[in-house]
Amino acid sequence: MKIIKLKFWQMFTVFALVLLMFGTGYSQKEQWYGAFTYSVSFPSGDTKTFIDQISWRGIGLDYRYLIDRQYSIGLFFGWNVFHERTNKTTETDNGAVTGTSDRYINAFPIMANIHYYFGQRKSIRPYVGLNAGGYIMLQRFEIGIFAWQKDQWQWGVAPEAGVVIPVERDFGIMLNGKYNYALTGKSVFGTDINNSYWQVNVGFVWEP
Amino acid sequence: MKKISHKMSLRATLSLTLLVLGLAFVLYSCYPGDALTAADTDIVATFFDKDANFSTKLSYAIRDSVSRVDKDGNPVFEVGPYDQQAINRIKTNLNSAGFSEEPNPAVADVIVITFANKSTWSSGGCYSWWYSWYYPYYGWCYPVYYTYETGTLVIAMLDAKATEQKDALWVATLNGILEDTSVGISTRINNAIDQAFSQSPYLAEGK
Repeated sequence: MKIIKLKFWQMFTVFALVLLMFGTGYSQKEQWYGAFTYSVSFPSGDTKTFIDQISWRGIGLDYRYLIDRQYSIGLFFGWNVFHERTNKTTETDNGAVTGTSDRYINAFPIMANIHYYFGQRKSIRPYVGLNAGGYIMLQRFEIGIFAWQKDQWQWGVAPEAGVVIPVERDFGIMLNGKYNYALTGKSVFGTDINNSYWQVNVGFVWEP
Repeated sequence: MKKISHKMSLRATLSLTLLVLGLAFVLYSCYPGDALTAADTDIVATFFDKDANFSTKLSYAIRDSVSRVDKDGNPVFEVGPYDQQAINRIKTNLNSAGFSEEPNPAVADVIVITFANKSTWSSGGCYSWWYSWYYPYYGWCYPVYYTYETGTLVIAMLDAKATEQKDALWVATLNGILEDTSVGISTRINNAIDQAFSQSPYLAEGK
């Protein structure tokens, strides 16, 4: 299992670089701001059919540019890990399969977004927004000594609503909810599916 | 000047904290889950003929031995330590499902035969840092090799009245890793056979 983890180092490197970018020079100008959030995700639809378990492992990085007082455009990069171990019996077309199975989804949303903010700068600002892009979706199903894996890009959208609460001059708190919906995708067994999950995110904001 | 340095140190501290958190996330979260025991590798898969009418299948004849084949498909004449136990357990479950044993295969509605085989699985390779599985490949990845003995028990129920060649009415395959104590394997065989029948309730239609 350790070996599988190694392929994530490249993903981690990208993550770390983005994080460093947030923490240093690029966010010097007031019109930029970044956010780092912790995510809790609730699978729905086809994702819930595969993994019926809340994900407590998730992080997100936001990088937004305020194009005027009310609007921002930006990029979002996240990582959500879903896992369920179950020994339930799965019915098939002409039979059934029973065994301890591990089901995993590592979802990496990469999206461009636009947000509209209510209220004034430096005050508590509720906002609504839309993320559009897709997900690097790593899906894995293990049962007995067998495993199926499907790694693919899935196009998707994620409407979002939240609030930015300023704490200090250049630091604040962000709380938001998102509905992630993949418009395309296949399951580990090759059937057409649409992965989806609800998310609650809370984290820090620089330059709110 | 003071403000800037405060700002930078806050950012630096937060960035470092988040990097450590991110690292922990990478190490522990990609494929979470505790290790599996040998029993956790057991799979019971059953298949049935959708056209079969099990309510008319009331008696069975069972071959009182387990057949074995080698990896080339040739018969192997040996008796395994759990063969009789498996046969007895299958009989118990068939009786519970409403079947009655018929010593004469020519008269029985169905014939039940049991196969077993043991194979050594060896696998290996290495994951690259990115998507593909390369093998053999000794670049940016770490090679790993592993082998294990697995056993499979197949129970097949055939239509004794069939006048032409046809698929089995019902097949159960029980598969698992054999690295276990004899008591462990014995218990797992019984559990797996019971599970095969409990997930096939249609077998009891003739009850």
